[in-house]
Amino acid sequence: MSRITIDPVTRLEGHGKIEIFLNEEGDVANAYFQVPELRGFEQFCVGRLAEEMPVITNRICGVCPEAHHMAASKALDALFAADPPPATKKLRELLYCAFFVTDHTTHFYALGGPDFILGPDAPPGERNILGVIRKVGLDVGRQVIDCRARNHQVIKTVGGRSIHPVAGLPGGWSRPITVTERDEITAIARQNVEFAQFTLQIFEDVVLKNPAYMDLVTAETYTHRTYYMGMVDDRQRVNFYHGKVRVVGPDGSELLRYHPDDYAGQIAERVEPWSYLKYPYLKAVGWKGFVDGPDSGVYAASPLSRLNVADGMATPLAQEQFERFFETLGSSRVGGRYQPVHYRLATHWARLVELLYAAERMLELALDPEITSRDLRTRPGAVTGRGIGCVEAPRGTLTHHYEADERGILTRVNMIVGTTNNYAAMTMSIKKAAERIITRGKIVEEGMLNRIEMAFRLYDPCLSCATHAIGKMPLSVKIRDASGAVVRTVSRN
Amino acid sequence: MRTIVVGLGNPILSDDSVGIKAAGLVKELVADAADIEVVEAYAGGLRLMEAIAGYDRAIIVDAMTSGTCQPGTVVRLKPGEGAGTRNLYCTHDIDLETSLCVGRELGLALPGEIRIIGIEAEDVDNFSEELTGSVRAALPEAVAEILSLWRLASWAPEGA
Repeated sequence: MSRITIDPVTRLEGHGKIEIFLNEEGDVANAYFQVPELRGFEQFCVGRLAEEMPVITNRICGVCPEAHHMAASKALDALFAADPPPATKKLRELLYCAFFVTDHTTHFYALGGPDFILGPDAPPGERNILGVIRKVGLDVGRQVIDCRARNHQVIKTVGGRSIHPVAGLPGGWSRPITVTERDEITAIARQNVEFAQFTLQIFEDVVLKNPAYMDLVTAETYTHRTYYMGMVDDRQRVNFYHGKVRVVGPDGSELLRYHPDDYAGQIAERVEPWSYLKYPYLKAVGWKGFVDGPDSGVYAASPLSRLNVADGMATPLAQEQFERFFETLGSSRVGGRYQPVHYRLATHWARLVELLYAAERMLELALDPEITSRDLRTRPGAVTGRGIGCVEAPRGTLTHHYEADERGILTRVNMIVGTTNNYAAMTMSIKKAAERIITRGKIVEEGMLNRIEMAFRLYDPCLSCATHAIGKMPLSVKIRDASGAVVRTVSRN
Repeated sequence: MRTIVVGLGNPILSDDSVGIKAAGLVKELVADAADIEVVEAYAGGLRLMEAIAGYDRAIIVDAMTSGTCQPGTVVRLKPGEGAGTRNLYCTHDIDLETSLCVGRELGLALPGEIRIIGIEAEDVDNFSEELTGSVRAALPEAVAEILSLWRLASWAPEGA
């Protein structure tokens, strides 16, 4: 069996490596990606005080500390039987929306967007944020940096510290905001709404109005008909902070709607001998391998998934975009709800719909009279022994599960991070893209390799949760023959 | 002349925390000085670029995994030389060099001089708050390197 290695994956968060195995005929036999394994997180945590977890878990990675801080705080609410006051929930969600705005913005302009704004075949030296700035203008670049800066300021104000929030407590939040701070945040939220609309306009001008890109988005190469997962509020609308986890099938019918406490009853993890990664799948459907369709328990949890499971968005401008998204992509309403969109590259568009929702929701929360309340703490009760906290992270459903003894000392820790949900789906997407691009051993135009990378970049995988990058190396592709010897090496810087 | 020292790394990932620990020691030693700021950072790329904006000089301290020298080896690098410098590439976004280009194109006030103190790591795969022995033993040298860079009136003689 021949093997092609793409290593490292450019612009991926953390260090990943794509492996493409060819058969004797030079066609794709199998494909997957690997990440180095980090060890010992559970052991690191066991024996510590549970209330340290919001601060410990947000150090797991430098990319999405806010998501871990939220999931940990919610797990502690449950562990200590302390349902927080309404103002606490609103402040947490406010911070979380600011985080989504920065994260989705960065992904669009720095990671995913260049493929569209510069084009999938543009030289890699240009297909980055610098190229984006040169193409769409310095002013847009300044807006991106300004957007990050002002929302980082909100995270610092509300979270008590920049980047790594410290305000989360069992049943509470340690830092109220003043009226002056509220007014500053309100102004920032308004700017965010404008910026999100502006970004959607760029997407429309660059992608939706370009038939070649629309052909790419809707190509079979980037299409998978899987199950989808995402959190919804009590009216079945997208919610990042609170709700039930809903799973719909490829035809849009609801398979599950469960309280996050029941995640272990709904999700199992598949172990494959060739990878130490565990591939989560739906217990109710079962594991049928890396295939899509209604009989395969593979699911995706992503911005596209969240839109697919929801009846709508909870804010008006995002709802307009939601409808536009489904109608443009040919989805029809069945039983009052749009059928799922299976075009994986549409995830980039879904991310921008969420960007607008996050901005609008942030503004709603900033304008809520209760947001400056100082009633932010429910006194913790006795330790319940078990606490599960769940939020939607930008990359998918994030679950923290803690168990502790009667003194609140941790005895067990388990987490399913956003990216992990998508391991199986990503593997399938890579294989499918590779199949369409590699035949009889023929490959390796730069644009071709990038199209394979595009297949998983759309999931915005954050391998930093599971690993950290080691060094900067040029991209290299090795093709090995059946004996493992390298018969060809292709590199790019 | 205002200098910023950035300790970079993951504080709970064994030797990956060496940059943060070295910066922490420096912070205590320069507590009374007005011309130096010491911060921790957990991600490279745009966030790192944004953190050093507004200063005249920046010293970034980070673990590295070059594999070409013994754990605990301390080296002084400039941006672009950090072939094995951890985390400068690992970000939600892009590497430090590209980030600096972005900052300059957008007219941000970036430091005219940037140096990286890299400390070769042994273990960056296991969660722990402790450093391995050889890396822990390198802390005094790393701290001395940072302080001597800070005290230098000009970094120019080191070559552009």
